[in-house]
Amino acid sequence: MSNKFQIIKLETKEKRLIYDKPGNYSVYFENLSGDLIFDIITPGVQLNIYGLYIGKKNCEFKINTFQNHKAPLSMSNLLIKGVFYDESKLYYRGLIRIEKNAQKSHAYQKNQNLMMSKDCFIDSKPYLEILANDVFCTHGSTTGRLDQEQMFYTKTRGLNEKQAEELLVEGFINEVRNLVILGSKTTPESANNDSGRVHFVHLPE
Amino acid sequence: MVMKNTDLNFEYKYGFSMPEKHVFKSRKGIDEDVVRQISSLKKEPSWMTAFRLKAYKVFRNKQMPVWGADLSKIDFNDIYYYIKPTEKQVNSWEDLPKEIKDTYDKIGVPEAEKKFLAGVSAQYESEVVYESIQKELTRQGVIFCDMDTGLRKYPEIVKKYFGTVISLYDNKFASLNSSVWSGGSFVYVPNGVKVTLPLQAYFRINAQNFGQFERTLIIAEEDSFVHYVEGCTAPIYTTSSLHAAVVEIIVKKNARVRYTTVQNWSKNVYNLVTKRSKVYENGVMEWVDCNIGSGVTMKYPSCYLVGDGARGEVLSIAYAGDSQHQDAGAKMIHLAPNTTSRIISKSISSKGGRTSYRGLVQVSPGAKNAKVYVTCDALIIDEKSRSDTYPDMRIKEKEVDIQHEATVEKLGEEKLFYLASRGINKTEAEGLLVNGFIDPVTKEIPLEYSIELNRLINLEMEGSVG
Repeated sequence: MSNKFQIIKLETKEKRLIYDKPGNYSVYFENLSGDLIFDIITPGVQLNIYGLYIGKKNCEFKINTFQNHKAPLSMSNLLIKGVFYDESKLYYRGLIRIEKNAQKSHAYQKNQNLMMSKDCFIDSKPYLEILANDVFCTHGSTTGRLDQEQMFYTKTRGLNEKQAEELLVEGFINEVRNLVILGSKTTPESANNDSGRVHFVHLPE
Repeated sequence: MVMKNTDLNFEYKYGFSMPEKHVFKSRKGIDEDVVRQISSLKKEPSWMTAFRLKAYKVFRNKQMPVWGADLSKIDFNDIYYYIKPTEKQVNSWEDLPKEIKDTYDKIGVPEAEKKFLAGVSAQYESEVVYESIQKELTRQGVIFCDMDTGLRKYPEIVKKYFGTVISLYDNKFASLNSSVWSGGSFVYVPNGVKVTLPLQAYFRINAQNFGQFERTLIIAEEDSFVHYVEGCTAPIYTTSSLHAAVVEIIVKKNARVRYTTVQNWSKNVYNLVTKRSKVYENGVMEWVDCNIGSGVTMKYPSCYLVGDGARGEVLSIAYAGDSQHQDAGAKMIHLAPNTTSRIISKSISSKGGRTSYRGLVQVSPGAKNAKVYVTCDALIIDEKSRSDTYPDMRIKEKEVDIQHEATVEKLGEEKLFYLASRGINKTEAEGLLVNGFIDPVTKEIPLEYSIELNRLINLEMEGSVG
């Protein structure tokens, strides 16, 4: 497994990635706004897509992802997590499309958002368009506050409200970061959240 | 139960048509004169005429929806907007003209009425031709009549609520309905009254190139309960008919309303319906929405949860076969604290059909402790068919729990194999699995309907590709 990161700066609003050779691929991005299109045009592609969003102040993210299965027997798996403070906003639209000839595809999509302030706003649209029948596709989306039972437990261990929150948020974020670290040996350079600067990381394994 | 029927040439059972006899038919197409004519024939109060004319102007200016199913083939000038089938409404089946009575006999309405219904209304073309309600309910103050009678006999209630849940500006088809509406049901349940048996309305289109625009208003006062069931059928024609209903429901404090639809229009019908409820404190609104028929359906029953603790629920089944597109779903708008909602959608596409789930969950600021659970499961039976899921979640409040999940898959090969090993042939096995798939919803609808629904889906499934 290669431990090299290919860091691509997203210069245009739209980025189209074409998967025409079988293999394992991972894509990771933080605080990215724009359109990401993943064209899978050959069988045997295993694609993991990880996204992380940390919204502060009046940050506004608009991200569209498109898992476009045009060939059979491939897999794509998307996980986008976000934590939103202050007046930050997320507009997420994720589309999985399985074309007629892309039989035996597996495609997954998960979006989980934590709302840390009453003034933040989340618009999540996990869409599916399935034109083949022998496939398996799921999507899930959850939005809400921190798990109140976990908060309670953490506080009984002597942490105050703020510490407990920080700990649980860290755990929530690390689920994505750890997956990326597992897929490589170095950690990707972290995005500077406040300025909304974005890094787009593409890891052929 | 395993279906033994293996007739592969299933035909739409309600596709027959009767010779068209009417006492009045408006000319083809729509303009202000047609709208005025409908209103004056019905001898309506001037506020309703004004409402219709205003809605007509809005309809003219509104754009067609740019999303959803393909509506480009609808020609608003090629439709008859109003057909009056009989001179007056009756409350005995024997008094109906023979063609109409035969129609309802074939559908099985009088039979069902005897067995398990508290009240029945039957609409043929534009007007309700038959109506009855148990005397006991009338004594308790329950009103169940067609919308036109409602407007005539209870103008103050109608004026207070009409158009308050779905405004005439809402969307093009709601505007159209507001301008040419005719028939539909008016239901009023007083404080504390629980209507134990369902009230039922049957809608039938018989004429060609016809538009049916029924308008239903249900008001459930505090602590009351009512279950309203509607069924729809039409003959098969080569030309299109349009069905654009508006249904408004008001669920007051602690009341509960259940609205069940078994939509089985023939495939030449465009079914474009706006259904919405406003739910007050601790009220419960349940939509059970089954779409089997029509060529194109666009329908998203909605709950506006405006009172603390209000609950909304949508249970939805959609089946799309050859040349059908079911674009159905639900909307839950949380506007008050402690409101909860649940959407369960099951869709099946086969023989080249397309089902789309389209939904909206919105939580407004201040709707603290809102809980939302949405689950959409889709089955795709063969490679010609298609399934889409378009949910939209807009969350503007922190203290909430929102969950959405969806799956799309085919019938399990292992399950089919197991059933085959038990000696069940493929067609029957598919039918069994599909009925199992929709079971969480069918068990919520009245028994007679769920049997009918299972039978219909079995028949539709037969001969589908494996």
